[in-house]
Amino acid sequence: MNGKWRGTTLFLAILVVMCATFGLRLYSASAHSGVTTSLARSPGTPATTASATPPTSKPSTTKGATGPTPSPAAATITGDPENTPYGNVQVSVSFKGKTITGVTVLQIPTSGNYDQRVAQAVPPILLQEILSSQSAAVNTVSGGTYTSTGYLQSAQSAIDKLP
Amino acid sequence: MATMTARTPVARNRTNGRSARLLRALIAAGVVGVLGAWWFSTPSSLTFTPASAATSLGELSGMVGAFLVCAQVLLIARVPWFEHAVGMDRLVSWHRTLGSTVLFLIVTHVLLMTLGVQLLMSSTPWAAMVSVLTSYSDMLTALIGTILFLVVGISSARIPRGKISYEAWYWLHVTAYGAIFLTFFHELSAGVHFVNNPLNRAVWIVLYFATASAVLTWRFLLPAAAAWKHRMVVHHVVNEGNGINSIWLEGSHLDQLGARAGQFMMIRFVTVGHMLTAHPFSLSRLPSNGLMRITVGALGDHTSRMPHLKPGTVVFAEGPFGHFTPEASHRHKVLLVAGGAGIGPIRTLAESLISEGRDVVMVYRSTSHDRLALEQELRALHPLVLHTVVGSRAELGHDPLGPHALHRLVKDILEREVYICGPEGMGVTVENSLARLGTPQRMIHREILSMG
Amino acid sequence: MRFLDTVMGIPMSIDIRDEGDHHEAAAEAFAQLQEADAIFSPYRSESELSRLNRHELTLETVSGLFTEVVDLASRFATVSGRVFALQTASGEWDLNGIVKGWAAQRAADKLRALGVANFCLNAGGDVIAAGNSGPGKAWNVGIRSPQCAQQMMAVLALRDMAVATSATYERGEHILDGRSGSPARGFTSVSVIAADLATADVLATTVFAMGLDGPRWAVERYDCSILAQTEDGTFVDAGDLRRWLAAG
Repeated sequence: MNGKWRGTTLFLAILVVMCATFGLRLYSASAHSGVTTSLARSPGTPATTASATPPTSKPSTTKGATGPTPSPAAATITGDPENTPYGNVQVSVSFKGKTITGVTVLQIPTSGNYDQRVAQAVPPILLQEILSSQSAAVNTVSGGTYTSTGYLQSAQSAIDKLP
Repeated sequence: MATMTARTPVARNRTNGRSARLLRALIAAGVVGVLGAWWFSTPSSLTFTPASAATSLGELSGMVGAFLVCAQVLLIARVPWFEHAVGMDRLVSWHRTLGSTVLFLIVTHVLLMTLGVQLLMSSTPWAAMVSVLTSYSDMLTALIGTILFLVVGISSARIPRGKISYEAWYWLHVTAYGAIFLTFFHELSAGVHFVNNPLNRAVWIVLYFATASAVLTWRFLLPAAAAWKHRMVVHHVVNEGNGINSIWLEGSHLDQLGARAGQFMMIRFVTVGHMLTAHPFSLSRLPSNGLMRITVGALGDHTSRMPHLKPGTVVFAEGPFGHFTPEASHRHKVLLVAGGAGIGPIRTLAESLISEGRDVVMVYRSTSHDRLALEQELRALHPLVLHTVVGSRAELGHDPLGPHALHRLVKDILEREVYICGPEGMGVTVENSLARLGTPQRMIHREILSMG
Repeated sequence: MRFLDTVMGIPMSIDIRDEGDHHEAAAEAFAQLQEADAIFSPYRSESELSRLNRHELTLETVSGLFTEVVDLASRFATVSGRVFALQTASGEWDLNGIVKGWAAQRAADKLRALGVANFCLNAGGDVIAAGNSGPGKAWNVGIRSPQCAQQMMAVLALRDMAVATSATYERGEHILDGRSGSPARGFTSVSVIAADLATADVLATTVFAMGLDGPRWAVERYDCSILAQTEDGTFVDAGDLRRWLAAG
């Protein structure tokens, strides 16, 4: 009886299944990431051709392309539901040219527990809060004032915003 | 010398097969469930870096391993449904299989988690391991628990197992409970898929509590209650000859044990030199008038000291277990083959089958010329047809259990369903002969007295 | 009242909102920073660090403060698997990654010890926010956008917390990953919010160097929150960031 190799065989089978699960998970995660990326454009950055659908379905969409966009028309696009540890998230985004003019949340996570400990790309609600915080009045600024050569760029106004 | 431990009947009947498949399916479903829990609690920004691949696979190995170790424990927790559905022998076999699997998964978990940290920080494996141990909670207990798992696993592997005594192996093995307890904490406090996922935490806690409860109930509480109820003691010891002794046990309400012919019990004699070990011994007389009997051959340290057991010695007995029973067969004509201490269960089978009205023939094999154990009472079982085959193969000039010899001895052997109980070599010979003669595998039932 | 100074070649400001005259306190706070510079500056030949590198001093003969920083740094080095390291590849001691935050934290502690409760200390971009900026108002700390230097990527509302940011501001610039020598892929900016600035300072540079796996690594080991931006503009958060965002 080959009983003595059964344990090893079972282990190897489980190992293969686990690798397959990991691979599938990765694939399903990347297939949905098109939504997050295009939503995360902050106003100061040159935006790409805005689209909230996954890249695979529209050959003309690119994620990281820079350069002038062809049409500054207004558009509202509904994204695919995205699976996050909080639950499903689905938004529709309004664009005017390169700027996001509005975000309408269609589906939000049911567990509002934001005390998560693991890093991830921010869900749309948190993104809204980040974007809206940008306009708050600032007392002081965090962030290096150096260029790569370590040259001190400016004097006090670089780190303090006088009211 | 070999010590008698687990029995492994070879043939199975159909209902056992179905339940066994169901149990295996349940365990597999559990593994799938664990993979699913991992899937849904993994952040969607999972990226394909070598570090994240190693860490994710490491986490998966840990989770699946932790689930399977509960399954492993449940299999030998003596849960009645499992025992009835599958049989202790097969449960033990699965427990062993899962044992190697779990051990590999634990080692893989440790290696991959360390590798993940190592890839993340381009450090040496040692620095990565130190980092893992110092930067998560409950890692010290996890480390101790893991070392215990390794000790338990290695001591149970074929070669090391042969080099240590049964007691040493048994008590090392029991530390597995400690290992499971110690490693449990880091799963919830350092496991990324548990730390902030209330659902996963709840499921895990329920799983472990259920396992602990099962063990507590069926390995400790119920057996303790039964021991109290039956209050078994040694009544007296009889030397049956041929190196075989019978031990009569006395107790209350023994009929409520539900013992059937051919079954065995796990017996522990509470006295110096015996109390650390429980042995599976088959009954050679079913309970009646407050007495029952086991018949034991001299095969190892303990069994050779059996004759010296004093009357009044307290006995803890768990069971009965085993499927080597009259219910396992359906034919009217039955052949019983016994050798050595196998005569014990065979004797109860003979009496039981005869009282059912079946046509029973017995072949009793002994290589020595010393008197055959229990022969008198066998001869008293009318209308049992008893063939005693005595003498070594060298003396006889042939193997009396070879196909032709057997056929000559039992003319209608092909019409008979067969029960075999005795030494390994004898069992193998008889099975081969029957196969040569054309008896189907499902008509053969065998209990092997073998090493654990 | 705002007090300014330049220490370690870096502009530093202390903005005190408590009533009264706090010149003395501010002066003592800056003195802490000057003292740290005197001990740890690699550009001053008579600093303990320089003397250690010239082997005029050993780890046994350096001052207590030096030892304190080395101990602190060693712990970070162990946990980070030497992504954060105390010495350069050639064996020279280099504690710049931790000294600024550590010294600024000491300065802030000194201010508190002298009875100043509401102030904001900014040491070249590393910020400690204590108390309120006004009645019931937390300190609004902006995080500079890597793409557009005049704009804010996000604004945090902090009270009794510290934040440090590690970032790259020039387009096309690459921070080299010291372990591999090739450009670090991952973030353009990492900001770490923690209770003390030394931790925030070290974690900001370490997480930046680690790349995408960094934030998760950090929050699993330290009590902190992280806001980072990747090269393609995505925001990444870890820990309880939402708590610290300013309302727009």
